[in-house]
Amino acid sequence: MTALAAAPLMPLRPVPWTRLAWVTWRRYRATLAGVTGVLAALAAYLVVSGERMHSAYATLSACRPAHSARCAFAYQTFHDTYSQPGILGVVLLFLPGIVGAFAGAPVLARELETGTFRYAWTQGAGRMRWAIAATIPGAVGVAAIIGIFGLLVTWYNTPLYDSGITPRLHATVFPVTGIAAAGWALAGFSLGALAGLLWRRVLPALATAFAVWFGLAFLAANQLRAHYRAPLTTASLQLPGSDLSLNQWWARHGARVPADRINHILQAVGFQQSGSSGKVTVQPGSAPSIDPVHYLLRRGYTQITSYQPDSRYWPFQWIEFGWLTALSAALLAVTLWTLRRRPA
Amino acid sequence: MNVLEAVGLGRRYGTTWALRECTLSVPAGHLVAVVGPNGAGKSTLLNLVVGLSRPSAGHLTVLGGHPAGSLAALDGIAFVAQDMSVYRHLTVTDMLHLTRNLNRRFDTAYARTRLDELGIHLTQKAGRLSGGQQAQLSLTLALARHPRLLVLDEPTASLDPLARHDFMGAVMTAMVDDGVSVVLSSHMLAELERVADYLVLLARGRVRLAGTVEDLLAAHRLVTVPADASSRALGWEVVERSAAGSMTHQLIRLPSVGSPLPPGWQARPVGIEELTLAYLRENAAAPIPTLAGAIR
Repeated sequence: MTALAAAPLMPLRPVPWTRLAWVTWRRYRATLAGVTGVLAALAAYLVVSGERMHSAYATLSACRPAHSARCAFAYQTFHDTYSQPGILGVVLLFLPGIVGAFAGAPVLARELETGTFRYAWTQGAGRMRWAIAATIPGAVGVAAIIGIFGLLVTWYNTPLYDSGITPRLHATVFPVTGIAAAGWALAGFSLGALAGLLWRRVLPALATAFAVWFGLAFLAANQLRAHYRAPLTTASLQLPGSDLSLNQWWARHGARVPADRINHILQAVGFQQSGSSGKVTVQPGSAPSIDPVHYLLRRGYTQITSYQPDSRYWPFQWIEFGWLTALSAALLAVTLWTLRRRPA
Repeated sequence: MNVLEAVGLGRRYGTTWALRECTLSVPAGHLVAVVGPNGAGKSTLLNLVVGLSRPSAGHLTVLGGHPAGSLAALDGIAFVAQDMSVYRHLTVTDMLHLTRNLNRRFDTAYARTRLDELGIHLTQKAGRLSGGQQAQLSLTLALARHPRLLVLDEPTASLDPLARHDFMGAVMTAMVDDGVSVVLSSHMLAELERVADYLVLLARGRVRLAGTVEDLLAAHRLVTVPADASSRALGWEVVERSAAGSMTHQLIRLPSVGSPLPPGWQARPVGIEELTLAYLRENAAAPIPTLAGAIR
């Protein structure tokens, strides 16, 4: 009773973060081990097949004389073997989202699903400290792991960059290399954490988080990324392989000429457009022995290509990382705010 | 100091009030039994006390004025939930470390000694323990925090009689040794009769009865009166009546302790189980009109 009478009304010294960090470590070390294990297996595969590609490229680079038919054939072989990323490319593309959502969704959802929140959120540390200690290191950890993994992917892709087969800005490699990869993992984690709080169950939260993440990634690849800075244009017919070409059109006297007008001009001299791809084929029978591109060039038309130069890789990486981090921070803030207000 | 102080406390889920207009003042040092039929709002009240839920109306302070759910409140309150929520894949040792690191105070030596006495091995997985052992583990983790208020949500519902007895024994010991106040919800009326000295009876989201057991028992009598006599005329509240030939048995609430009985009437004291049952039956029979109005 005397102990009760002396209820301290002065503010308490809260439970130190270091102790909460131990709690987070103890609860998530299995998740960490799982993620690390899967990534290590994938890394081993990347190292082995990357070694093979690097040595193939070294052989190709050593081919002399460089413009001989033998070297062109060697290049073609290299191109045919490695230019298609295949299933590995798909896995790598989804990896930041999968790992992020996999780590983020259970943070709150598992507590709510199993009822352990009644234990966790009634301890002296309070639920906000508990939640901050669980989400922030988780988010940073996932971003760091995927960021490091991205370095390996960059190394793996080097021969493809150097040979001009795949530009670094290409949608299949840009978001899984550099700091953008870390940003995408962060977004997956934050979406997972919020979905977990809203769904209160791990699996639906995981599915929702990944679906939203995929939508975002799709939007970024198809709409946003090309506009981080206004594309450059060139009249050069041959763009360096490391630049990312976006669009092509014909112009005359500095003004853009509509595609159907170009088709009309070509049809008038016997070229036929096949399909909607804009490819021009020569109609059998009326074959003019002339290349349609050269034909147009000689008539004073210019072929304009819009592109993003390779030098914009890092600025674009920072832009993508920046908005993904801002989005993730906002999502985590909404998660913590909701958690604070919402009854368990 | 009051361990619980609720004024007009209400909690709404959607459009339904799980608890409303709850005004309570529970002094320290009691074992408070929160009783009521299923859905009466017992868990809702306890969740509010431990800060898992927030009031939709009114307010609630604990441990002498700390808002429920505040850090100071959480620091002094230990909660054992109905399902003994422990991390099932963690060992008993891990649960001890976890609880130690989540609190400002944790008496590891006490916890280890107590678990040793109970025959719970530190290397066992929490999920592999029997129901009784899990309950004891949860209680040990709660008591090792040396709380000033221990909140137990139907802690013995899933235990066999022996485990239940051991569990309540441990709670009583903590009350005597550490001066812990206890709030528990339970269906086990017979068990409460033995241990509880303060009763809060909830019905349909409202407090129907609250007070020390002593006061409540003193304020109620079971009277046997002629069938045509009216207790209500004397200003007594009839909680329950049953006919017995030309007489009726009535459980009445006296307006003040020790009101004289009319000649020819017989009265005897009631027990807590009898009293509680009477109030529970009253609610089963007659819906409280105001609540129906509130829902609509």
